[in-house]
Amino acid sequence: MRRPLRDPVLLPAVLLVWAAVALFVLYPLVRLLILTFWNEGPSLDAVTGLVRDWTNRSALINSLALAVLVGGAGTALGFAFALLTVRANLPGWARRAIDAVVLLPLISPPFTAAIALIFALGPRGLISYHVFGLTKVNIYGLWGTLLSETLTYFPVAYLTLKAVIANIDPNLEDSAFSLGARRWRVFRTVTLPLATPGVANAFLLVSAASLADFATPLILAGTKFPVLPTQAFLQITGLYDMRGGAALCFLLLVPALAIFIGQRQWIERRGGSFVTVTGKVGATTRVKSLSPAAVVALGLVCGLVVTLVLICYLLIAAASLVRGLGADNTLSFAHYAHVFSGGLKAVRDTLIIAVLCMPIGGLFAVVLGFLVARTQFPGRRALEFAAMMNYALPGTIVGIAYLLAFNDPPLALTGTAFILVVCYVFRYSLAGTRATTAVLAQIDPAIEEASASLGARRDVTFRRVVLPLVRPALLAGMTVLFIRAMTAISATIFLVSLDWSLVTVRILEGITNLELGQASAFSMLVIALVYLAVAVASFAMRRLNAGSLGQAGTLLGG
Amino acid sequence: MSVKGWCIRLAALVGALLAASVAPAAAQTINVYTAWPESLSQPIFKAYTAKTGVQINFLRLSTGELVARATAEKSNPRADVIWGAPGDGFAAAKEAGIIEPYRPPTWNLISAELKDREAYYTAVSKNTLVFMSNTKLLKEKGLKPPTSWNDLLDPAYKGQIQTADARTSGTALTRMLSIYYAFGKDEEKAFDYQKKLHKNVQVYTKSGGGCTVPVGLGQTMVCVAHMPDAMEAKKKGYDLVVTFPKEGVAAVIEAIALVKGAKHRDQATKFIDWTFSKEMQDLLDKNDVYMLPVLPGASIDTNVQSLMREAKLLPVDLDWVGKNRKRLVERWVNETIKD
Repeated sequence: MRRPLRDPVLLPAVLLVWAAVALFVLYPLVRLLILTFWNEGPSLDAVTGLVRDWTNRSALINSLALAVLVGGAGTALGFAFALLTVRANLPGWARRAIDAVVLLPLISPPFTAAIALIFALGPRGLISYHVFGLTKVNIYGLWGTLLSETLTYFPVAYLTLKAVIANIDPNLEDSAFSLGARRWRVFRTVTLPLATPGVANAFLLVSAASLADFATPLILAGTKFPVLPTQAFLQITGLYDMRGGAALCFLLLVPALAIFIGQRQWIERRGGSFVTVTGKVGATTRVKSLSPAAVVALGLVCGLVVTLVLICYLLIAAASLVRGLGADNTLSFAHYAHVFSGGLKAVRDTLIIAVLCMPIGGLFAVVLGFLVARTQFPGRRALEFAAMMNYALPGTIVGIAYLLAFNDPPLALTGTAFILVVCYVFRYSLAGTRATTAVLAQIDPAIEEASASLGARRDVTFRRVVLPLVRPALLAGMTVLFIRAMTAISATIFLVSLDWSLVTVRILEGITNLELGQASAFSMLVIALVYLAVAVASFAMRRLNAGSLGQAGTLLGG
Repeated sequence: MSVKGWCIRLAALVGALLAASVAPAAAQTINVYTAWPESLSQPIFKAYTAKTGVQINFLRLSTGELVARATAEKSNPRADVIWGAPGDGFAAAKEAGIIEPYRPPTWNLISAELKDREAYYTAVSKNTLVFMSNTKLLKEKGLKPPTSWNDLLDPAYKGQIQTADARTSGTALTRMLSIYYAFGKDEEKAFDYQKKLHKNVQVYTKSGGGCTVPVGLGQTMVCVAHMPDAMEAKKKGYDLVVTFPKEGVAAVIEAIALVKGAKHRDQATKFIDWTFSKEMQDLLDKNDVYMLPVLPGASIDTNVQSLMREAKLLPVDLDWVGKNRKRLVERWVNETIKD
């Protein structure tokens, strides 16, 4: 471990990263804290009104319950998908097809999934009414929200678990079989325990995503099932009470950070007894841990989910191609014409910002990951923690904190593209940071020491040894940033400006302004662009010999 | 490719994009935050640019987002004018100290219930609430379109009414005020009614017009929302019947205000003057905005007026609304929707 305080290169690096995190994460949050809890002196007056409101009290409980339910359901579904694709000897095209469909909910803009679900399963929905003839469907409330969030976030669990299960050597299961164990026993005593850290990781990732999601409940939860991020949004935009909304968000910070700490500890506990990749691999055997009946059952469940996802997105595609879905179903390219005329500026702006985010965020993630994984300095844990905060908070509040912090000179960034780039970089670099630490954990520090002993300076070693080694992590981090910059909305709705517009904002606008066709056309364009980016990234990843797409996929979830 | 090569390329790209991102400022511009959809505001802004050559940059935000944003930007405002948001948003803006009084030359012609007493904001148009019902679903159930607030309490509509959430939408406030005025300003009666109405409501949408598409698609039978939403939906081909409650609906305002500390103050006030000219007020009718002009003598010739003739518009006391809005919404949350 290096001690950068005595190192002429690492010390500036640590200071630079700390300065960036302090300026773009801590400073805005402090501004917000002051606004919330300072009224000519420390004050809780912003909170007093909130506790009177029954919706806020039940929202905390609802949020936690929803997070746990979505975490459980999403992880179970992700596990089923992972077992099917990794352990069922499916042909390559089927696995690729599943991967492509599963990516859909992950990369589509917020609101899209919820709206599509209403079209499929709501009252007079395609499936509920036109296929099954149900007339009394109620999709609004806990069940609709749960279903929609599960469908949106289970891919995170799938991609995490896929890598974990793939790393379990089938030979281990074989040994159990040869000792006379039956399939269920092998699954229960070998496969499942080895996958435990992955399962916990998936659960925490999915529940954290659910905890910060305000878009799905906004459409589907109705008034009977209030949740915290939505309550905060309503408090700010409906009751014009910014302080109250901010207070609710700080309340949300407690379970959100608990989830992050839990997740970290699981990841750290993973070492030792869960090691499955040893480099000592015997002759690969054919996987036989799943009985044909289990394969059929898994196939049915996954087939059903894939069908539902496909129907939802086909409905969006249909909405983008007709004049008015359900009213005037004649084929029309008018919505795409709008996207490529009036909407072109938003598309161009979004692409510029997304592309700007990639190198800045990628480099930040790699440097931060390197410092966290390879060096020792006071406040290392605190830095890692601080760098995570913007990810854990609901986007609405991050956006408002940025507005408060960066509106006045000398830091007048509002109205520029820079504030959008910075917001994405400090909110969504986490995946790249984690990838970097994961990759570095597999690389023997002796390689860097060899470079140093040959007389290379620290920065030369970093540039010529570390950077090439972590290139896959850099690439993955940049891909995630690109995807998030193309699809995220909650924080940036407050940061778009007269000069800089975003596609996601246009989608939201379309949804609130009855322009469903335009919103769908924009969504289809975003989905196409992101698929293109992921294809390019996975091609590059293969060129870099960095293992399977599964790894890139894992990172998409983070 | 070498790492160095990568770095150089990336740096060049970032540099180029950063250079491109510094947008040149046009000579004469006004920055406008608006809650109106682009389809309504854009033709009006274009007309102004055609007449004066002044460019209007606008950002479309929901009313709540608009006020939150302008409040956070208060010390260094980005917008010059806030245009086209419901009156309650302006009441909040006034309280937050983000707008300043301004009286256009025609201000005295506009009737008192359409403007803030201290001229912080003034209505550009009058908006009205309507019932829109799905024709096909009504026929299936053998129902007539509702023509009274009490019609909506019919058990036949159970789980078949969508309308806006009082916490997010100006439309919802209009609904609450309409009920309040329709029941003779008896708040207890009004809340008693809403509690009953709640039993028939399928979901409260977060945006005012949020129930328009669902009612068009038959996901719900009745939607209570503003007139322009209904007319847009009909134009798109949804088979809807538009009716008014005979007890009346509150006449709400869509207003305009000058932002305090506006950077383009001169241009902004000229623009505000123009919005209260006959020329702009006529555009509301000409462009099918489906709202009523506020300037006496402005054109109301087309179908809007024939529709509005059936509506009984109840004047709203803006002062009272400003003082009681928050309390009404809190009461709605803690009484009406609490099961």
